[in-house]
Amino acid sequence: MNIFLYLDENTWFHRLDPRTKIIGVLLLFGLIIVFNHPLYMGAIALGLVGLAAAAKALPNFWRMRYILALLVIFSTVLWPFFAKGPTVIWSWGRLEVSRESLMYAVAMGLRLASFVGAGLIFLSVTTNEEFTHGLIRLGLPYPVAFAFSTALRLVPTFAGAGATIVQAQISRGLDVESGNIFQRAGKFIPLGVPLFIYAVRHTNMLAMALESKGFSPGEPRTWYLNPQMRRGDYVALAVLTAIFLAALFLRLQGYGAVLPRL
Amino acid sequence: MGVAISIQDLSFTYAETTRPALRHINGEVEEGTYVVVMGHEGAGKSTLCCSLNALVPRFFRGEYSGRVLVQGIEVARARVAEMSRRVGLVLQDFEAQLFSTSVELEVAFGPENLRLPRDEIERRIDRYLRFVGLAEMRRREPASLSGGQKQRLAIASVLALEPPVLVMDEPTTDLDPIGREEVLSVADLLRQERRTLLVVDHDPETAVDADQVWLMREGEVIAQGPPREVLTDLALLESCGVQPPPTVALFQALGWPGQPLTVEEAIALIREHGLAHPRPLEAPTAPPNGRPVILELRDVDYVYSTRAVEALKGVNLQIREGEFLAIVGQNGSGKTTLAKHLNGLLKPTRGEVLFRGRPLGEIRRTEMARHVGYVFQNPDHQIFSNTVREEVGFSLRMAGMDPRTIEERVAEALAVVGLSGYEDQVPFTLTKGERQRVAVASVLAAQPQVIILDEPTTGLDYRHQRSMMEMLRGLHRRGHTVIIITHSMWVAAEYAERVVVMKEGRILLDAPTRAAFAQEGILAEASLRPPPLLRLGNWLGTSGLTLDAMVEELRSR
Repeated sequence: MNIFLYLDENTWFHRLDPRTKIIGVLLLFGLIIVFNHPLYMGAIALGLVGLAAAAKALPNFWRMRYILALLVIFSTVLWPFFAKGPTVIWSWGRLEVSRESLMYAVAMGLRLASFVGAGLIFLSVTTNEEFTHGLIRLGLPYPVAFAFSTALRLVPTFAGAGATIVQAQISRGLDVESGNIFQRAGKFIPLGVPLFIYAVRHTNMLAMALESKGFSPGEPRTWYLNPQMRRGDYVALAVLTAIFLAALFLRLQGYGAVLPRL
Repeated sequence: MGVAISIQDLSFTYAETTRPALRHINGEVEEGTYVVVMGHEGAGKSTLCCSLNALVPRFFRGEYSGRVLVQGIEVARARVAEMSRRVGLVLQDFEAQLFSTSVELEVAFGPENLRLPRDEIERRIDRYLRFVGLAEMRRREPASLSGGQKQRLAIASVLALEPPVLVMDEPTTDLDPIGREEVLSVADLLRQERRTLLVVDHDPETAVDADQVWLMREGEVIAQGPPREVLTDLALLESCGVQPPPTVALFQALGWPGQPLTVEEAIALIREHGLAHPRPLEAPTAPPNGRPVILELRDVDYVYSTRAVEALKGVNLQIREGEFLAIVGQNGSGKTTLAKHLNGLLKPTRGEVLFRGRPLGEIRRTEMARHVGYVFQNPDHQIFSNTVREEVGFSLRMAGMDPRTIEERVAEALAVVGLSGYEDQVPFTLTKGERQRVAVASVLAAQPQVIILDEPTTGLDYRHQRSMMEMLRGLHRRGHTVIIITHSMWVAAEYAERVVVMKEGRILLDAPTRAAFAQEGILAEASLRPPPLLRLGNWLGTSGLTLDAMVEELRSR
C-alpha cells in the first residue's frame, strides 16, 4: 500500500531546494486566494496543470481525479445558495441564486481544486526528508521537525497494519458492512484495539532502534542531505513573488472579483 | 587479543515484574570472535542483547546488578547514544527499524547522529551498501524491498556507525530460506573482517560455524563452549527448547560413530566408515485420499490493483477433505495471496474458486468464516478482548449463538489448543506462543471444516513450534482439513501430507511430501532446500520423513 505521493523523477522541480519548494507552494496558495472570478481562477488552474506537467506530477492528479472533480462539483452546486449577488436569476422563498453567486461558486470550486493541485505538485516533488530538512533550514527546531516527519512516515505503516487487521477480523466473522451507525461503531473495537496495541509496540521498537543508532533529540548532528540555494531557486522564488504581487495589485485595482469579499 | 565483551554476575529484573529476566550471567567474548546465543522463548536472550548497548537498564528500567564491560567501558554508566559507537544492535523486527524514504538516507541516519562530515557519510553509505549487496538499491524506498533486503539494510544502517561489536537479535526469524542465506552471508563477511559478532538464533545450522555457543534457559546461561561440544548434548539442547542438529540426533540414535553437525559431514562419515549404502530413492506415491474435493481453484489469476503486479497466474489446485497441505515458497511467491482466495478474502481477477462445488462468489463472507477458518501470521493483528474467553467466543457471538453454546464451544476450543483454564487471563499478557494458540482457538471455536494458518511457527521457539504442530496434527486426525503456509522446511516435511511449491505466482510443484522433497532441483528453482534430514535421506535413498522413521529404516537395512 502506497499512500505517499512522491514520484521519483528528476525534473527541474525535483532539484529545487526544499526551502524554495515550501515557500513556493505558500506563494501559490496565496495566489490562489487572491481572485474569485472564474476566468482568473481558470487561468491559475490551467497554469497549475502546466506546472504539474512540467514536474511530471500528472499521475498524481489522475490518482486524485475523483476528489478534484468532487470539489469542483460540490462547490459549484452549493455555493450559489450561500453567496448573495445583485443579479438574481432564480429564487424560492429565501433561497435565491444570482448570476454573480453562480460565477463565484465556479471560482470557489476551482480555488479548492487548485489548492489541492498545488499541494499535490509539492508532495510529488518533495520527499519526506527534504520537507523536514526544509523546515529545519527555515528555523523549525530539529526535535519538532523529526517528530513531524516520523509521524508522516508511520501513516502508511499503520495503514498497512490496519488493512491486515480488517482482513483478520473479517475471517473471524466480523461483518463490517451491515448494521446501523451504533452497531457499526461497536465493530470498531475489534479493529481499533489491535491497531492501537500494534502502534504502541511499533513505536516502542522504533524508539529502541533510533537510540541504538546514536540518536538523541536536541543534540547537534550533521546532515547527509545538503540542499543548496542555487540561481534557479532564486529565479523561481523571484518569479513567483512577482506573479503574486502583480495579482495582488490587480485585485486591489478591482480586477478578478465577482463578489467583493475574498 | 583483547576481550570485547565481559559480563560479570549480571542480573536484571524488568520494572513491574517479579521474575528476573537474567540471573547471574557470566561470560567473555574475545575480540574478533563469533558467538551464537540460543535458548527458548523468554530465556532472556533479547534482554542480554539489550544489556550490551545500555538499552538495559537505560531504556528498559528495572533492578540491575553486576557489570557489563564492552571494550573496558561499563555499559550501565553510559548512555545508549554513546554506546552506539561501540555496539551495533540489529533488532528482530526489521520492519520497525526502517523509517526513511530511501535506502541511502536510512544508512545516513547513524553517521549523522555521530556528527560526521558529509563526505565521510557518503563514503560509509557507499561502503556498507556494497558490503551488504544493496549498492544498486540506493534510491529505492525501503518499503519496496524484500524481507532479506530489508534485514540487510537494517544491518548496513547499524554497521555505518562502524561499531567494533555487532549484536543481532534473531536476524533471520521472519525470513524465507533465501533471505536467511543472504543475511548469514553478511555475517560471514563480518567474521572475515574480524569484527566481534554476537547473534541470537534458533537454527542449529547457524551455530555450526560459531566460535562459541551460549545456551540460555530461564534467564541463565547454562552452557558455553565450542559448537561441537554444546550442540552434541541433545538432552541439554532439548531442555533449553532448542532444536538439536538432526544429523547428530540421527547418528546418536543409530549408535554410529561421530557427531556430524552438517549433512556434508554426515555423508563424509558414512562413506568413511561404510555405515550405510546409498540407494535410489523410491518415494511413496500416495493416491489421493478418495474423499470429496472441498476447495478448488480453477485457472485463477489475481492482480493487486494497487501494485498492478500479477500475484497469481493460472493457478489450478484441488484440496480434498481431510488433507494436511503445506504451501511453501519464497516471500512474494504468492502463497498468502493463494490462501486468501480459499476463504474469499480475495476475489480472483480471472478464474473461479469453488467450495464444495459452489462458487465462492455465491457464499456470504460471514458464512465462509464458519466453513474456512484463517489464522493470520501475527496473532496481535486480531487479539482485542480483555479475557481469553471473550476473544475465543468472538466469532460465535458474531454468528448470534446463545451463551450456553458459546461457553461450551470456547471450552472445547481451548482444550484443543491446550489452554484450558486460561479463560479469565488477559490475552495481551500471554507469551507469543500462547497468543498464537488463542488466535487458533478463536478460529477453531467456529468449528470450521478447513483451517488455514499463515506461518504458524514463525517467531516461536522449537518447543512451541513442536507443540503447535502436534496440536494441528491432532486437528487433522479429528478430520479437519489443515492448510499451512510455511518457511520452515522441517515443519512441512514432518507434518504435511502434501506440499505445494510456489514461485512467482505459479504452482511449480504439487506432490506428496516425500516425493516433493526428493526433487531438490525443482526446489532450488524456488530457492528452497529440503531440511537437512531429508537431504541426507535423498542421498541415502530413505523414504522416511521423520527422524524416527529414518532410524527404523536404516536399522532394518
